[in-house]
Formats: sequence, structure tokens, C-alpha cells
Amino acid sequence: MDKIIEALNKGIENAGVERRKVCLVTDIAYSPDVVDFLGIDLFHTSRGRAIPYATGMKLANPKLLPVVLIGDIATLGGNHFVHSCRRNMDIVVICVNDFVYREVAGETAPGDFSPISFSPYLSFEKPLNIPHMARSCGCVNVSRWTALHTDELANSISQALHRKGLSLIDVISSAPDLLEFYYKNSELRNDEDTLNVEIEKDRKIVVGNFFNEEKPSFIEAYNEQHTKILGDNFVKIEVE
Amino acid sequence: MKADPRDVLTGTYYIDGDIAIAYGALAAGCKFLGGYPITPSTAAAEAFARKAPQVGARFIQIEDELGAIASVLGASWAGQKSMTITSGPGYSLMMENIGLGAATETPFVIVNIQRGGPSTGVPTSTGQADMMQSKWGSNGDYEVIALAPDSPQEGFDFTVKAFNLAERYRVPVMLMADECVGHMTEKVVIPDASEIELETRRFYKGKKEEYKPFKRDKSLVPPMVKAGDGYKLYITGLSHDESGHPILDKKLLPDLDKAGVTNKKSTNRFLVEKIRKNRDEIIELREENLEDADVIVVSYGIISRVAYRAVDMARREGLKVGMLRLITVWPFPEDRIAELAKRIKGFVVTEINYGQIVFEVDRCSHGKTNIILVPHGGGSVHDPDDIYDAIKKTATEKKRYQGVLEYTTSLERSVFGGSMAEKYGK
Amino acid sequence: MKASEEEKKHPMENLLRMDRIPHIWCPGCGIGNAVSAFAEAIKKIEYDLDEICVVSGIGCTGRVAGYIKTDSFHTTHGRGIAYATGVKLGNPKMKVIVISGDGDLSAIGGNHLVHAARRNIDLTVICVNNFIYAMTGGQVAPTTPRTAFTTTSPFGNFESPINIPRLAEAAGAVYVARWTALHMRRLTDSIVEALNKPGFSFVEVIAPCAMYYSRTNRLGDGLNMMKFYYDNSVIKHGEPTENVDIGFQEEIVIGKFIDRERPTFSESLKSWQQENKTGKQGGID
Repeated sequence: MDKIIEALNKGIENAGVERRKVCLVTDIAYSPDVVDFLGIDLFHTSRGRAIPYATGMKLANPKLLPVVLIGDIATLGGNHFVHSCRRNMDIVVICVNDFVYREVAGETAPGDFSPISFSPYLSFEKPLNIPHMARSCGCVNVSRWTALHTDELANSISQALHRKGLSLIDVISSAPDLLEFYYKNSELRNDEDTLNVEIEKDRKIVVGNFFNEEKPSFIEAYNEQHTKILGDNFVKIEVE
Repeated sequence: MKADPRDVLTGTYYIDGDIAIAYGALAAGCKFLGGYPITPSTAAAEAFARKAPQVGARFIQIEDELGAIASVLGASWAGQKSMTITSGPGYSLMMENIGLGAATETPFVIVNIQRGGPSTGVPTSTGQADMMQSKWGSNGDYEVIALAPDSPQEGFDFTVKAFNLAERYRVPVMLMADECVGHMTEKVVIPDASEIELETRRFYKGKKEEYKPFKRDKSLVPPMVKAGDGYKLYITGLSHDESGHPILDKKLLPDLDKAGVTNKKSTNRFLVEKIRKNRDEIIELREENLEDADVIVVSYGIISRVAYRAVDMARREGLKVGMLRLITVWPFPEDRIAELAKRIKGFVVTEINYGQIVFEVDRCSHGKTNIILVPHGGGSVHDPDDIYDAIKKTATEKKRYQGVLEYTTSLERSVFGGSMAEKYGK
Repeated sequence: MKASEEEKKHPMENLLRMDRIPHIWCPGCGIGNAVSAFAEAIKKIEYDLDEICVVSGIGCTGRVAGYIKTDSFHTTHGRGIAYATGVKLGNPKMKVIVISGDGDLSAIGGNHLVHAARRNIDLTVICVNNFIYAMTGGQVAPTTPRTAFTTTSPFGNFESPINIPRLAEAAGAVYVARWTALHMRRLTDSIVEALNKPGFSFVEVIAPCAMYYSRTNRLGDGLNMMKFYYDNSVIKHGEPTENVDIGFQEEIVIGKFIDRERPTFSESLKSWQQENKTGKQGGID
């Protein structure tokens, strides 16, 4: 987990944005040290609700740069994720994907993995392909890295901070030894069709910048439509 | 501070309660509404959506009520007055984040246009059965403020008041209106901006490095800052100390030290204390003819208008009846009820539910007087005759009863049969 | 000539709760067509009516459950699919169908849609999409096309609408089709296919809302909307779902988009149980 914070720090640094404008909204209980380290505000919300919380922040003060670091994007937060992608809300979403999966690329991870998930016999359900879900909901900027790809991750974060609209970064993260195993078994494939990036046991974990297209962001579309109808009576959302 | 003239739609209107509430929110300087359509509250969101882009306020219709309330919390920390508006089922969905709002001392307003029945119930009919939910709905200990308007005009006035209370005490404030108020069209006078007094958020003025988000003075309400101003906020729903950092040491959780302010202790207790200790300032009551009263009718919201008529009828007959209307239902006026209970024959409590606030009245009366509930299942309001009958019976009653007595209304008798004597006075 | 007793009967009498008729839907509404197609489909599959269960959420389409003479549940807003998942797992013999609206299924219930499709629970979901929240008086929905007017988008909708077939496909649905309320025969056949398909099947029905959507946007009455569908819908079977977005008064692509095989929830549970009986983890029985 600290690897992600490290990359985030680097990403903010590289982006050259005003650091105090960045707000970390998360549903993960980070230690307060993270705030001191990053020098930004942190909001620890209820499980899965980080995305709408950040949405409210952005609309109330458009100069803020909310970064959502969310552990529960697929289950409790699934619906907020779907609709924020659709709206192309002006926030950065980093999904901390800490699935427990022992086999990738046909290899079994080292160590003893006692099942820890809600389902005590390990899961037989198909996992959600998060990048593909994002794309199908209308998200236009999706990348995936493991937490050990610090530079690439930092790069994606700093790009996302500059970008209008929603950027989704799927970060594979887990216990250190398992993460090392994932890192080794990952394969860089930029611009890969998100259909093919499912995490499966006989396949390497595909990482990279999957796509990056242009689409009016929520704030841009809001400004455009209201200016068209209301003209001078409309008070624009000023981002800068 | 006075209201901003740009936000106030001064004039005399003939509008329904929902719209009046939306205009009240705009007048109070609310700049964010996160909502989701639900009858009978929708007209408020619609009215807000029409006006918002022209006054620099933002409206978002989000994917569900869970998201609506979360966005309201975020907007509040970003520095804007914010609100949401909903009805029963949506209100139930919001409970999780009402708890987060209370725990992180976030000021915001929730309007609940109550409908009848549990679950989906009767969306287009009235009810007052969410009163206990508004106090106890989320998990854990916390206190909220709840107001009950009885007309579109009060919908406007109390929305402004709700924002003022939210900002002053950093607490979620519930405006517990109901379908009748929401859908009723009446004259609403919106005064000039110079006549609307607003409470401004108390911002922290000291050194940045020394700021602690939950460090409080004697008022027990800590000053606030905005996100993005470089204070390195750490705001969490975990139980926290005054710097906002989580406390996971069990020993530190329940205590409140003598001075009221220490470094290493949980702020949980203050969530309750800041409202209880300031309750005399918060509580507003409308009292009429209490001086000589033998019987006092206690009511709130729309039903107080029916109760006024019953009280009128009774007084014309020479019965000594007073009226106590709760403007703030929570915190509850315990002291006043206890004081009155000592010298009267009985309280007649009217509400559109099968008994919620009546048990509070009973609790605070300490067995000193008779407590009569005139219930109603929702869908419509009481018949004034029922309240009148209950008043008359209470005024002439010689016996003292323990606990709450339920008066069967004519509606219930017509449905379930039985006579008044079977339930009351036997 | 006098009609015989048999002729006086409504042809759907054994499928509809006739004592609840007339229904609540407005003149020109398309939900009735969807119900009619559904009832026709139920007739065609000749399934035991006692083992059919209809679940719906809240909204105009949510009221469908109240008119179908099977076990039917009118549940809370958005939770129809979650409720139906419970019914199905509680009694796997049941044929469980969720009929609800776009707001109910894709807005507040979006997450349940995604996860039921991911698990491939053996359900059939019929989503009546009228582009608006009609029961509450015409608010903007996630499906409302851009620039369309509604009461909560009084200056035109600026959010991109959701493409529900694409969402269902991405989440893992095995059968995805879209028809309009005009294409009754094809819609009926499609519902039959969906009902016969093991796994999560999804049928979207584009329907006119004459009271709110077409009134606020000045599109005429129900008949005008039907005429519009007649002129502007194009059948493209197997069209990739990314091409089936709907713009304001633009071409509507309809057809059967997805028909594929994937193990259902109960199948994967069964095979997983078998695999694990001798494995390290032990079986669950």
C-alpha cells in the first residue's frame, strides 16, 4: 500500500500542480502519517462512497483536485463507479485492486495462502474486469499498473491530474511477497483492448495505458450546455 | 451576516412547500444540492435545478441516495453550504453517511418530506413516522437537530434556520416536513435579503501548523477550514481525537475529562454534548395559553394546524387548554415538559404515527400527569373532532394512569370497530 | 351475433390479474406492450405458471409485478435484481424474471445489474427504457439522451447517457437484446429466447413515455413516438454493443446483440464443488 502512496507523491510532484489543492478521498483507513508525508488533505469516508464524496467536493470547489483512492470500487462502490465514468466526472480514481489470487501466468504464488475472503472456500465467481467495465461505461482514460511500477504509476497519476474528466488507474496491490510475484508476472501492453486484460490464472497480468481518448468532461459539458441555453445568465463553473 | 441579495428571490409567491424549501436553501446561501428523485420531495430538487445555474449553485442528480448524501458531505468540506432532499426510503439509504457526517462534524441539511407507511408506503400521502429514525437512524451515539415546519412559509423560514443551526453547531440538521407541507400550495412571502440573518461558518483563524480539526473551545463546537487550503486535514469516520487521528485504544473511548478538552481522547462524547449542552439555545417552542392550562396539546409539523383548531373549539367551550408546538423536535424540550407535567391534568399528543414523540413526552413527565396519544396511521391528517374529544376526556378525567394511553380515533373505530371506552378510560 | 362466454374472456386472463385492470399507465405508454409481449412469451414457453416469479423494483415499470398473475414481488427501489437473486438461489427450480425500468435497473440498481451479470445468475431481466423517471414526474435519468429536456435538466441534459446493453455485456450477460415497444413479435420471440437461455439474459425495451419524455421535448403522443420508432429503428443482429448508443431523436439500433455461452452461477458452483472435493480446501458439503 505504501508503494501507491509513494507513487502518488511522485505523481503530484511531477504534475507540478499546487499540492494543497489535491485532496485524497479514500475508503481505506490510512494512517495519519500519510497526510504528513503527502502534505495534502485526506478524507476517509464510508466504504465505497469515496467517489460521490469527491464528486461533491469537485462541484462545490472546482479548483480542488480530488484523487479517489478506493479499495471497494467493484462491490459497494460499483454503482458510483459506473455513473462517474458515464458522466466523465473531473476526478482521478485509483482503484486499489488487492484480489487474492494465487495463480497467474500458470504459476502459483509462493507462500501459504489461507483463504481470507468473505467466501471461506475461495471464490468460484468470475472476477470483474475493472478496466473493461470502465470503458463500457464511457470512461476514456484507463491504465493499469502493479504497485511496484512506481514510475509508470506516478506518470499516470500526474497525467491524470492534468487531464479533464475521469481517469481510472487500476493498481494491483497486495501483500509484499505476493506483489513481487504479480510484478514479475506482469506484461506491458499499451493500447491493449480492455477485453483482453482480464486477470486469469493461466495468463500474465496485462499492464499499461489501455486507452486515452477525448470526451467532454462533466464540467465542460455542463458549461457548454448551460451557456448555450442561458447565455449570460449562467454562472460558469470556473476550474482555473 | 445578511443574505446575499443575488440568492434571495424576494417577493410574494403562491407556491408549494417543496419549492419554498428550495428557495429557502438558495436564500440561505446553499450552493450544492445532491439529489435523487423521490416523491413527494422532487419538486424541491426541480426548483433548485432551475435556479441553480443562474446563481452559481450546483445541482447534481446522482445515481442513488447513497451517492447523494456522500456528495453533500464532500461539498460541505469543500467549503459550501450543501443539502439534500428526500423522502422515507431515500432517507433510510442515507443513514450510513448521516453517521459519517455526525462523526466528522460536517454541517449540512437534509430535508425529509415524510410519506406514510414503512418501506415504499404511500408516496403521495402524508406521515410523521420518521421522527425516531431521524434521531436514531445511523449506528452509534450522536445527536442531530430536527425541525418540523407546518406550512410552505415555514418551509422557507425553517430551511434558512436549518442552515444556520447546521453551521453554528457543525451538525446534520433535518428538516422533517411531510407530504402535506411539501405538496400544499400557499402564500409564501420571501423577505428582502437584508431581513434574512445568516449564520456564517466559523473558520479557523490561527496558525496553520497548529490547526486541529476537532479542537474545541467552551462552545464545544470546533472552528472549521476548507479542503484545499493547506491544512493537511485528516478526516475520518473512525473514532478520533481532536486532531482527527483514529483512536483504537479502548480505554480512551468513553471518557470525557473534567476540563472538557484533552489531547488524546475521543471526540465521540462531544458529538452528544455539543447539542445537549447548548439545547436551551437550540430549542424553539411555540406556546399558547399555557398559563392557566389544565390540558396541553403537544404537536409538531402539519398536525399542529389541526390541533390549533381543536384547541380553539375546546377553549370556546370553556376548557382550559394550552398548545405546545415543537419547532425543534430534536433536541427534545425535556425540561419544559417536566416543568409543565407537574401542574396539569394531562398531555394530549397528536402525531401522524402510532406513537413516537409521545413516548418522549411520557419519559419527561416522570409519571406526574396523564399522557394521551391521538394516533393516526398516515395518508391524511386527524379529524379535529378526535383531538377535541381527547382533550375533553382528559380535562374531565379524575383517574391517574401510568404510561401512555391511546385514544382511538373515529377513523380507527370505523376500520377496526370498538369504542373509545375500550382503549381509554376503562 | 352474441359473443360466447369464452369469447368474452380476455385472452391473457390466466396470466394477468384481471381484478387489477384497468392499470395505472397513461395513454400512449409503452409499458403495456412490454407486459403483453412478456405474457405472450410466458404462454409460448409453456412453463408451469406456479414456478414463475416476477420481481420488480419501483417506478412505472415497477408496477408490472402487480398485474402478472404469478408469484410477484414489488420490492424496493433498485433492488429488484438482488431480491430476485435471493429467490433464485432459495429455490433454483423457479424461473425468475425481473421487469423494471431504466432508472430502477441502471441508476440506483446499476451495481446489482453488474454483479448479477458477472455471476451469471440464471435470471431474465426485462428493462423498459423510457429515457426518464416517469413515476416521480419526469426527472433526468442516466439513460436520458444528451440535450433532452427534463424537469431536473431544465436547460437540456448535458451528461452522457449510459448504454445499458454495453454495460450488461461488459459485466458478463450471456444474452443481450434490444427492441422497441413497436416490435411486438420480435420482442416476444426475444423474451422467449431469453427465458430459455441459462444464465443472465437481458432484454431492453425502448418505450414511449407520452406523459413526460415526449411532452417536455415536444415529441407528440405515444403514437408519434411509435411512428418515430418505425422510421428510425434499424435491426442489426450481432452489432457490437459499443455502437448502440442512443442520441436524442437519432437512429435506434435494435436486435439481438449478444448470445453466448458461459457457465452459470450454479454450474460454476457445482463444478467448483466437484473440483474441491478432493482438493486441499475440502468440499462445502
